[in-house]
Amino acid sequence: MGSIKRISKELTELTESPPEGISVELADESNVYEWKVIIEGPEGSPYYESPYSHLTVHVQRTTFLTLLQTTQNGKFLVKLSLPTEYPFKPPTVSFATKIYHPNVTNDEKGSMCLGMLRPDEWKPSSKIAAVLQFARQLLSEPMPDDAVEGRIAEQYKNDRGRYEEVAREWTRKHAC
Amino acid sequence: MSTSVTASTSLPDSRPSRLRRFSLRTYTQNLSLPSGQRSYRHSLSSRIPWRSSNPDSISPTANSTTSPCPESDHPTLSRYTSAPAPSYGFGTELNSQVSSTESAASTPFNDLAQTSNSMARLRSISAVHRPPPRTLERATTNSQESTPSPEPGLAQNNATEPTSTPADGQVTPSKSETKATIRFFPYQDSLQSSRPSLPFVPVARTLPSESCVIRVGRYSERDGLPLPNPTEPSDAPVGFKSKVVSRKHCEFLYVNGQWHIKDVGSSSGTFLNHMRLSQPNMVSRLYTIKDGDIVQLGIDFRGGEEMIFRCVRIRVECNRSWQQQPNEFNKNTESLIQNLGKGEMADYSGCRECSICLGSVLRPYQCLFMAACAHVWHYKCISRLLHSPDYPMFQCPNCRAFTDLSAEVDDSNDPEEKREKEPAEDRASNDSSEQADTMVPSVVETNSVQGPPDQLGDLAEEENLANDVENLHLQDDQQTDDTRSSASPAPNSSSDDLARSATTNIPGWQPTQPLSVPAGRQSQLRSDTPTSDDNPLTPRNDSGPLAFDGRAGMP
Repeated sequence: MGSIKRISKELTELTESPPEGISVELADESNVYEWKVIIEGPEGSPYYESPYSHLTVHVQRTTFLTLLQTTQNGKFLVKLSLPTEYPFKPPTVSFATKIYHPNVTNDEKGSMCLGMLRPDEWKPSSKIAAVLQFARQLLSEPMPDDAVEGRIAEQYKNDRGRYEEVAREWTRKHAC
Repeated sequence: MSTSVTASTSLPDSRPSRLRRFSLRTYTQNLSLPSGQRSYRHSLSSRIPWRSSNPDSISPTANSTTSPCPESDHPTLSRYTSAPAPSYGFGTELNSQVSSTESAASTPFNDLAQTSNSMARLRSISAVHRPPPRTLERATTNSQESTPSPEPGLAQNNATEPTSTPADGQVTPSKSETKATIRFFPYQDSLQSSRPSLPFVPVARTLPSESCVIRVGRYSERDGLPLPNPTEPSDAPVGFKSKVVSRKHCEFLYVNGQWHIKDVGSSSGTFLNHMRLSQPNMVSRLYTIKDGDIVQLGIDFRGGEEMIFRCVRIRVECNRSWQQQPNEFNKNTESLIQNLGKGEMADYSGCRECSICLGSVLRPYQCLFMAACAHVWHYKCISRLLHSPDYPMFQCPNCRAFTDLSAEVDDSNDPEEKREKEPAEDRASNDSSEQADTMVPSVVETNSVQGPPDQLGDLAEEENLANDVENLHLQDDQQTDDTRSSASPAPNSSSDDLARSATTNIPGWQPTQPLSVPAGRQSQLRSDTPTSDDNPLTPRNDSGPLAFDGRAGMP
């Protein structure tokens, strides 16, 4: 199958030189259509917070520095599934880690709404690397006008502070 | 509130019959069906107000002054009926309902569960049946559309339609070097799974001047079918063989470097990306359109079962002509072809990757497919997109440009080449001198350069032969440029072509150079062309099939 060839090519490329904040592996070595992707919350976004960083407020400066070294970014487990018709049909991206984000559904599916993944927008020449980078970019810049969670989008637009607070809290609670 | 309840409850069961009555009524002059008409109109207008996505068609005044005259505001259909008079009776009958429809409008969206498809259809039908205020008198004049009508909108259109439109005075002539081109393709809305729209041959137009307007309307025998893809710039009107298209339906204008569309008073509407531009028989304002937009003319009538009643869905492609002229990318592809079989060793800067399988296309013995945009894939990889429901239209998965795979093979390059070859022999002796050519007026026209008499001595020729040999590589590049610019669809203005191609970043062309320098090169390269007359394997002939004028890649 042609698609397997292409997928394994992309997989090799992504594992050999992964884009910033993204690492990929197959969920099951025998199945190239299901990928396990770890996306690190981009710096400056409320998804960047580590599970420890909220402690830093309370500790002294010296310990803060040591803590910083053990700090790690919020890591989100993302499932990428490729249709057998790939690259003619778009892949789907879903967050296995719960995330508070206007463009990710707040249910067990956690499906992400990406413009480039819509069937009429998708181009076979788009690569998975671009999809994942776009998904990570969406963490820094949510697109409230394209939202699947209207309430979060509303909050993002009108009450940015509260949105960031909740997103940070969820990141601490759920991200690893 | 009781009225609203009846309005919504009467909806589901009455809809199919309503549609049937609609067609019956308009076709058999059976115009007095008050009860059917009543429920139809009632339920329709009850859903109009909250379809607020289209402010044009939902102005409250239009609602309150519903003045139905379906016949007269539907000139395409009025041919089948000869008695528009009874519609006035409806007017009073329906006006009495307005109050109830207004209250119905305030009910919750209990019809939202309906599919958007049928909603859209109903909405557009309702729009047809809900002419704006004042249309009563206007529409009656409109029903004799063929006679010059005193109606202001139409009169204005008639005035602006002739070749030069004084109304478009704001057009900037400075952008004339990039010719405004537009192409229309049939578009099948596969996602909405609606009925197929009217099939038609793709139409391309290049505006001769920016003030020209492309008129779109119903095909008429009198006008004849204009050439769908003229090689010369043309603003010939575009006609569609559908009854739902008005004779004067919409216009495409090029204003300030941007394409626009305007409904010029069509009866069944012009839709830009599903949004109706104007109410029936009303002239709309200008709407900008961009590459890839979908324009729909009219709506299916009688379910669109017969071809002649289908609406027209057009995918618009704007200003893609740069892809059909020599540019860095398709020149790279040309060298790709020349490097075929050399494998990864090939010294070549362009894209060598098939975007489908991400493998190289440079290996030998592979079947390749090249689209008109000069993107190349393995045939096996791309074949799935070639043999699609959209065939013969093919959309490039890399750049989204559309290619008509059924287009005639265009061999119009050949005569051009011959024309160049004939004078080339005597040119070999005369214009290898750069000094002579720098004195040629800066506007370089391929044919005019060929004109100068044989005025230079053999000495000058020999002197410059050495130069020529040194410049051979450069000349090859140059030459393909020349054949292309002269083969491009605007031979009457190749000064434009040269200026344009100078701005499109072609290897070997320095946009900053004065135009006289290309003149010198151009003449230089002529000095080595005679060989190509008898030897088909010279680089010159080699470039023939690779003259990417947008048609070379088509089968």
